Amino acid sequence: MASHGLTYDGCNFFRQRLVLSTLSGKHVKIKNIRSRDDEPGLRDFEASFIRLLDKVTNGSRIEINQTGTVLFYQPGLLYGGPVEHDCHPQRSVGYYLEALLMLAPFMKTPLKATLKGVTNDPTDPTVDLLKSTALPLMKKFGIDGEAFEIKVVKRGMAPGGGGEVVFTCPVRKTIKPVQLTEPGKIKRIRGVAYSVRVSPQMGNRIVESARSVLNQFLPDIYIYTDHMKGTNSGKSPGFGLTLVAETLNGCFLSAEMSSTPQGQGEPVLPEDLGRNCAKLLLEEVYRGGCVDSSNQSLALLLMTLGQQDVSKVLLGPLSPYTIEFLRNIRDFFQIMFKIEVQTPLDDERKGGDKVLMTCVGVGYSNINKTVK
Amino acid sequence: MRRLSLRGTFKYLLSVGLVNCCTVTNFPFIVSSARVRPNQEFTWRNSADGLVFSMESRMDAKVKKPKKHQQKHSGPKAEKKKAKKQEGLVEEDERKRNPKAFSVQSAVRMAKTFHRAQDIKTKKHHVPVVDRTPLEPPPVVIVVVGPPKVGKSTLIRCLIKNFTRQKLGDICGPVTIVSGKKRRLTFMECNNDINMMIDLTKVADLVLMLIDASFGFEMETFEFLNICQVHGFPRIMGVLTHLDSFKNNKSLRKTKKTLKHRFWTEVYQGAKLFYLSGMVYGEYQTQEVKNLGRFISVMKFRPLVWQTSHPYLLVDRMEDLTDPEQVRTDPKCDRTVSLYGFLRGAHLKNKGQVHIPGVGDFQVGDVGFLSDPCPLPDAQKKRALNEKERLLYAPMAGVGGLVYDKDAVYIDLPASHVNQLQEEARPTTELVQSLIDAHSTLDTKMAASKVSLFTGSATLDPTHISQHTRERRKVIFTQDEEEDVGEEDDGEGSDQADDEDDVECEETAAGGAPPQKKQKLEAERGRTGSCAELPAFADSEDELEMSEEEEEAGTPGDSGHSSEENEESEDELTDDDDDDGGEELGKQHSERESEEEMEEQGALRWKEGLQQKAAEAFLRQQEAAPNLRKLVYGSVVEVTESEEEEEELGGLFRVSRPQKSKKLQANALDCSRFHADTGHDWDVQEVLDSIRDCFVTGKWEEGQDAATLLKQDEELYGDFEDLETGEVHVRQPQDTQDDDDDDDGDEEPQVKMDDEEVQKNKRLEKKRRLKERFNSEYDDGDSTYFDDLKEELQKQAELNRAAFGDMDDESRVQYEGFRPGMYIRVEIGSLPCEFVTNFDAHYPIILGGLGSSEGNLGYLQMRLKKHRWYERILKTKDPLIFSLGWRRFQTIPLFHMEDHNGRHRLLKYTPQHMHCGASIWGPITPQGSGFLAVQSVTGSKASFRIAATGVVLDLDKSVTIVKKLKLIGYPFKIFKNTCFVKGMFNTVLEVAKFEGASVRTVSGIRGQIKKALSSPAGAFRATFEDRLLMSDIVFLRSWYPVSVPQLYNPVTSLLLPAGQKDSWSGMRTLGQLKHDLGIRNKPNPDCLYKPVVRAPRRFNPLHIPKELQKALPFKSKPKQQQPKGKTPRDLQRPSVIREPHERKVAALLHALSTVHNYKRKNAHKVQHAKHKEFLQQKEKDEEAKLKRQREAKKKLYRVMGQKDQKKQRSSLKGAPSDL
Repeated sequence: MASHGLTYDGCNFFRQRLVLSTLSGKHVKIKNIRSRDDEPGLRDFEASFIRLLDKVTNGSRIEINQTGTVLFYQPGLLYGGPVEHDCHPQRSVGYYLEALLMLAPFMKTPLKATLKGVTNDPTDPTVDLLKSTALPLMKKFGIDGEAFEIKVVKRGMAPGGGGEVVFTCPVRKTIKPVQLTEPGKIKRIRGVAYSVRVSPQMGNRIVESARSVLNQFLPDIYIYTDHMKGTNSGKSPGFGLTLVAETLNGCFLSAEMSSTPQGQGEPVLPEDLGRNCAKLLLEEVYRGGCVDSSNQSLALLLMTLGQQDVSKVLLGPLSPYTIEFLRNIRDFFQIMFKIEVQTPLDDERKGGDKVLMTCVGVGYSNINKTVK
Repeated sequence: MRRLSLRGTFKYLLSVGLVNCCTVTNFPFIVSSARVRPNQEFTWRNSADGLVFSMESRMDAKVKKPKKHQQKHSGPKAEKKKAKKQEGLVEEDERKRNPKAFSVQSAVRMAKTFHRAQDIKTKKHHVPVVDRTPLEPPPVVIVVVGPPKVGKSTLIRCLIKNFTRQKLGDICGPVTIVSGKKRRLTFMECNNDINMMIDLTKVADLVLMLIDASFGFEMETFEFLNICQVHGFPRIMGVLTHLDSFKNNKSLRKTKKTLKHRFWTEVYQGAKLFYLSGMVYGEYQTQEVKNLGRFISVMKFRPLVWQTSHPYLLVDRMEDLTDPEQVRTDPKCDRTVSLYGFLRGAHLKNKGQVHIPGVGDFQVGDVGFLSDPCPLPDAQKKRALNEKERLLYAPMAGVGGLVYDKDAVYIDLPASHVNQLQEEARPTTELVQSLIDAHSTLDTKMAASKVSLFTGSATLDPTHISQHTRERRKVIFTQDEEEDVGEEDDGEGSDQADDEDDVECEETAAGGAPPQKKQKLEAERGRTGSCAELPAFADSEDELEMSEEEEEAGTPGDSGHSSEENEESEDELTDDDDDDGGEELGKQHSERESEEEMEEQGALRWKEGLQQKAAEAFLRQQEAAPNLRKLVYGSVVEVTESEEEEEELGGLFRVSRPQKSKKLQANALDCSRFHADTGHDWDVQEVLDSIRDCFVTGKWEEGQDAATLLKQDEELYGDFEDLETGEVHVRQPQDTQDDDDDDDGDEEPQVKMDDEEVQKNKRLEKKRRLKERFNSEYDDGDSTYFDDLKEELQKQAELNRAAFGDMDDESRVQYEGFRPGMYIRVEIGSLPCEFVTNFDAHYPIILGGLGSSEGNLGYLQMRLKKHRWYERILKTKDPLIFSLGWRRFQTIPLFHMEDHNGRHRLLKYTPQHMHCGASIWGPITPQGSGFLAVQSVTGSKASFRIAATGVVLDLDKSVTIVKKLKLIGYPFKIFKNTCFVKGMFNTVLEVAKFEGASVRTVSGIRGQIKKALSSPAGAFRATFEDRLLMSDIVFLRSWYPVSVPQLYNPVTSLLLPAGQKDSWSGMRTLGQLKHDLGIRNKPNPDCLYKPVVRAPRRFNPLHIPKELQKALPFKSKPKQQQPKGKTPRDLQRPSVIREPHERKVAALLHALSTVHNYKRKNAHKVQHAKHKEFLQQKEKDEEAKLKRQREAKKKLYRVMGQKDQKKQRSSLKGAPSDL
């Protein structure tokens, strides 16, 4: 009588499918994973992700064929507890953390995940970004508590890695519906300019250049410099900047930029990086919405898993990742979002079009949590 | 004979037969006509020969009106009243008149009363929940339950008659009626089958529990109540029937009372219990039924957790859609069935999973909503329902609306409806018919009409379409649809323009509009793109579009193979539209051109890189109103068709565009970051300015600007007087004046009007703000957490209603699913054929929706308690039938108890009066759901059937139940505290595994396993806290994990043949199996009783040491008495043998001595008697002597006394003289 599963092609949006499968209990089969590629099959980082999924669940069945081009995943129940995982350095910890953020509130026991690997790289949202945007977002959905945090114990830059992040999250039985339709005005900008295994001056140079751009809008800017030394500095040198703009209504928009990994591509000047990152933040502000563009899918998932009530969230333009996520949500939960475009008035100077997403939650309740 | 009233001018006397016929045919009419004329009344009279039905009228003027009350204005009575009134005025306020009585007597008592009042107030609070009841709620499910022959059907019939004035023969399946302006009722009868009782409890809103008062409560009643308790308690109302069987009024009252109190203990104190006192011609008394009906129609229901969180359907109509040909060839083939009913509970999503209790789990094939067959009356301001609105819908009972036969449709209309309906229907019979048809089978119709376009022009005939019956259409659907798709695809491949046309045509056809319109449409398409011509029931997708982009008047042909294509067509349409501005048009033109160029370059290039596409698409959205929804979800048609493409064409047409693009994108980098490539240059001032207002430093909105806020404050608080200085501050009036002037500077002509308007608005605004402020200040002290929470939830409920309230149903169901209250049709494929062949309408079919992972199986840990009325305890690993969630299933539970350290320890049996844990393999059901367990659902037993009840605590994919295992070993060599033990393990490896484990002896000496010995195998060295004895037994206590058997066997009672539906039997228990097979366990011989054999006890001789012997006194010394040995022969004396003479002498002597002895004895006796006599005599003498002596003494003493007295007297005499 096991419920019917879903079948997908290709390894893109691999994480969302497995995460949604775990939450909905529907098994999933992913075929043709790089089947035409020179190196067919799953990559190491994907295998590592599957292993992480196996660690936080109980009773999952994972079948991968010989070449690694077909994956069958029958989800178990989310177990949680203390988990330690060595993330593959091909992708940063953010890749794994994004999935854990979606799963963590629905575990049997509160999750305490120690993820080791690359904390900052240019491809994925870094740990700092998730820490400053995803957590406040989740707090709006009622996932809160003293043990809800992401802690960067060690910083490890790509490609060497060697960083360590501790993510702890309490469990919730239900998720509150939210109405995030008014982002409010940006009141302050904060940021972290981090540097490891390079001159500590790098941080200050980044801060200077970033401030020069942002000061045109706002005086309240403070960018911390975070220089880690010794064992906490990982294996590779590098630096970067994460900027977060906080609005009056407690919405967080962020942008970030990391230096190119050692031995890959041209090196970047810290001044350029700071300036570009600030511009990225302006771009993000231009897109606007109540949710950062990299956290759109998280917000949509939590809306879907809410009570059977209407939730509304104002987003900036939907990213391709989010669009696919919406499709997957429809496949797994039969939930469609009402998508309304809000075009700003002529005299308003508030950036581009916004998208108002409305949905009715599925009435999801955490079936893993034990009642006594 | 009792007569209510007999005061009439004319009567109808009817015979019994006549009355019967009247009730059958014209009765409703008569009643209603009687209602129209107010002065008429009916009288019912029971007489010996029949019923006298009298109807009388008081219409004539001769009847006097009763005298009116006249108030006295004078006289003693009036004065008295006046005085009383005046007095009352004086002592108006009790508190003032008698202040002492209301003063605080005791602060402690006051505090106590206050606390008590608060306690009572808080106790009334429930945890507030969001009110999710729909605006038009589904009918209330009323389950009528009771043992057989108690009058269930009669009650339903009476209630239906009460509400709708219609008679129903056989109550079969759910019967839905409109009972009032805002309420509909669905009646369902529940028979004695425990399966049915369980199922109906889960959907019931109200239970009418019929109790035969002449018999009292029956076991089923209590079983049902217990089932209710487990699955959330619906409203329960008791109904006592058969009260006319009591002859004695006192016993009737007594019975009523006892039954009532028993009922109250089961339900709640003060639960409503109705009494139906007797039957009148096979029906309950009208007044009583009416009262019951009133109670039902005003009743409020509490939301039950399970029901509000799951969608469900009480099916009131079932149709088999399977291809008849297939059924003919293979009668056992799986059936496709459509089920109809009102949706209840939560929102139902399309393609969800459902459970049908008694059948199993199924995937919903297709859901569609139909027009309500039993609608509530439109909002009108009158009080009662009219005849037309009292609807009755019971397709399974063959009443109301449509009745479907194998190949015909009967439309059943009540007599009162016929005239009006016919008038309406006559001119457009086809329309009505098509409406009736269309609502029910929109999708099938779509499919059918699609076909008709391609198979030939003949089929395009609209009459043909309307003539199609349901079954036939279904056949076409299965046969031709795929062909159709194939054709369509071919067309697409060959020519683009052609394709578009095709699709457009298809569109019109799919809409179910008569195909005659097609040409007209095509002709028009060039000029206008308006959708006004499209039929109202066009493709649902289009409806959505329309609602979303109202600016674009034209609905594009929903070809929907790619979003781009759509947009293009949209562009075309807007291009043609005259309304659009020229500037916009130009933009679109250019865009279209660029797109066309790309098109020319080839399909492959076009679809490359969806990320870029998405970004581009978004940019485009800024110019023309975009269709994001289509970009995200595509259209439903597209999805299905592309799938079919894959299946259909296989390798032949692999090169199709969307497929290819998907491939390219499928293995891209999986990253959530949204890389901006919009090309904003953030060094340019203009670009920077575009986001200027996003910051607090930017411009604020009118209402939130700091300056305006300040000004508002000024307005509110501007005037004040400084009391210390006596200064009066008045706000400057010119301030606002200036502002106004600034605002209105440009346009003077309209100023006057505007000014007033503005002023008025401002005043209103100010008033509103003041009120808000006052409210917030005023309520602040009073509002509690509870109030805040309630308000929050209230807001959410309002939002829920408002969010999709303005959309039409077609699009609304896509977003929020099907609303409860809708009448829906659910198609389910692959139902077992027994479901159809053994269909019995008396049994309810329930479609219970399942949550997201409730379709999976896993281990459930639950808290269970054997029911206190169940006679036996339950055994671990005996199969048990559970009712959990929607499901009824058989599974094998393991009972366990949690130890203090959290260990789950297996129990062999459930405890008698305690909760214990139970673990089963079963369907995942949310924690906190209640369940009940029964041993068997077959037939009925005399005893209570519910074996256990409980609640789910935890769900998991593994279990940790252990049972105790004691390993025993024997010491074979003992050193001081070390000891070698054998017999516990068999190999060295086993020992190695248990190294360091603690062991214990029976006598309580603790120890530890140290190391294995080489020989014998399995022996080990262990150390103990004390020296062991060889007779000690060493044991090791360990815990062995037990696995829960993975049996999940749904109770498929609904698939059994009609009449045997209560005879489902699953796996038998071990006891039953043994009983059936006649197997008896060989008892353990050690446990048998044996005769007690006691060996005689032997004691060893007591040995006293010599030294001690010496010390002992002689008395205690052992005596050296040897037993006398045999007399030696030389000492033995020979026996004497007498001579005959001697013998004679001896005999004589013996005789003589005997005589002598006798004499002596006698003499002795005499002597003895004499002596006795002598002694007596002596005693007597002695006594006499003593007596004499006493007499003498007495005499003597008396004399002596007298002498003394004399002497004294004389001395006394002398004395006074002396004095």
